[in-house]
Amino acid sequence: MATGCSVAAAQTITLRYAQAASAHKSIYSLPIALAEREGLFRREGLDFRVVIPIPGGADLMIAALHDDTADLAHVATPFLVRAALAGSDAVAIAAEFNDPIYSLVARPEIARMADLKGKVVGMADPDGSIAYSMRKLLALHGMSEKDLRLRTIGGTPARLGCLKRGECAAVPLGQPQDLLAQSEGYRLLGASNDAVPAYLYTVTAARRSWAAANQDAVVRYVRALAASFATIRDPAKRGAVVNTIVEMTGVEPAVAERVLELYAGKNVLPRRGEIDLQGLAQVIAFMGETGQLKDPLPAPQRFVDLRYLQDAGIRPK
Amino acid sequence: MPAAKVLAFLVALLFPLHALAGANRDRGQDEVGPGPDEGPSYFGMVRDAAGKPIDDARVTATSRDGLAMVTRSDATGAYKLPGFNKRHNPDEVKISCAKPGYRQYRVFRHPSPRGGPVRAVETECRLQKS
Repeated sequence: MATGCSVAAAQTITLRYAQAASAHKSIYSLPIALAEREGLFRREGLDFRVVIPIPGGADLMIAALHDDTADLAHVATPFLVRAALAGSDAVAIAAEFNDPIYSLVARPEIARMADLKGKVVGMADPDGSIAYSMRKLLALHGMSEKDLRLRTIGGTPARLGCLKRGECAAVPLGQPQDLLAQSEGYRLLGASNDAVPAYLYTVTAARRSWAAANQDAVVRYVRALAASFATIRDPAKRGAVVNTIVEMTGVEPAVAERVLELYAGKNVLPRRGEIDLQGLAQVIAFMGETGQLKDPLPAPQRFVDLRYLQDAGIRPK
Repeated sequence: MPAAKVLAFLVALLFPLHALAGANRDRGQDEVGPGPDEGPSYFGMVRDAAGKPIDDARVTATSRDGLAMVTRSDATGAYKLPGFNKRHNPDEVKISCAKPGYRQYRVFRHPSPRGGPVRAVETECRLQKS
């Protein structure tokens, strides 16, 4: 492993990291944005550049690795699994977000989950991670989607709009919109991670072939990412983390503080970028349950390459 | 992987995903739309030395701090990119273009209309056979 001094002496390596425009403005870019802000990539001798493919939803991030738009990509795990099964050699090299918190937030007159029966609930794509976790949350309360009138609405901002217009009785919201809504009197009925305790939501992916040929660069990247997660947990760096969230999402510092309080002690963020294979197995199981994958379901090990985490001194979870 | 195989893989990968994208562009990862803090958009044409449009060229807009947005020119050579955050000065955003077999030899930024805020920045990018 290179020391700090030898890294500083080594040649700077340029790394291009693809990220969906939506993710770039969301809480899901926190580890990367903080690493940039705190100079953690520079410290590893990396000239780190975020590249936003246009058009480019989460579904096109793996393609960005194949058409030489980027070297690394921020990708939601179902897309990685699907691409790998379609022939891509892309694999996860580090975890970015484990178990995201989606809050089921209801209008003020809805006091409990059972009050939603027969009412319109704005839901994310039925085959996506959010809808999956909400189904599990409903089941936890003895309910199913059949008890509701579902309306598919993509994106937390759009779902929040439906709630505020009174067209939806409840909607799943991410951070910080869920906290903002609650501060305005909307009610929290439950959270996704009450029902799905293990998950692997987003990862950094690279093509196996590219990563093997650029091992030093990948290990430096993983070390910088690990340092970012350590910074997020460092009380002395709280101000820098809060400021990063404010710059990314445009919320007030008090709301950013509440986001961090919400994440504290939960399995939302990895400790150092370690990949939770159990969480990835949960993603694969969910893809099986929703008919996106057929039996026999693939093993999670097929979609990861742990050598870079190991070379960076990070133990598997 | 041979070039033809890579191309076939990309077509196979992208086609069904584009079909899904219409339903929910960011399925599996939540979407945040453009906010009020978005600066001017960037648009223009990619042409060859004779002025003929070049399709499928990669066009990159790079801000001063290194953030880049990348798109491809369409069949008419046109491209369009959304704006960066307003804190980025559009005068410091560089447009570049590339395509295998070509090299960039000229980038011409059209002057913005005077008076009022700049809503879009037009830049023409010229490539010539290398």
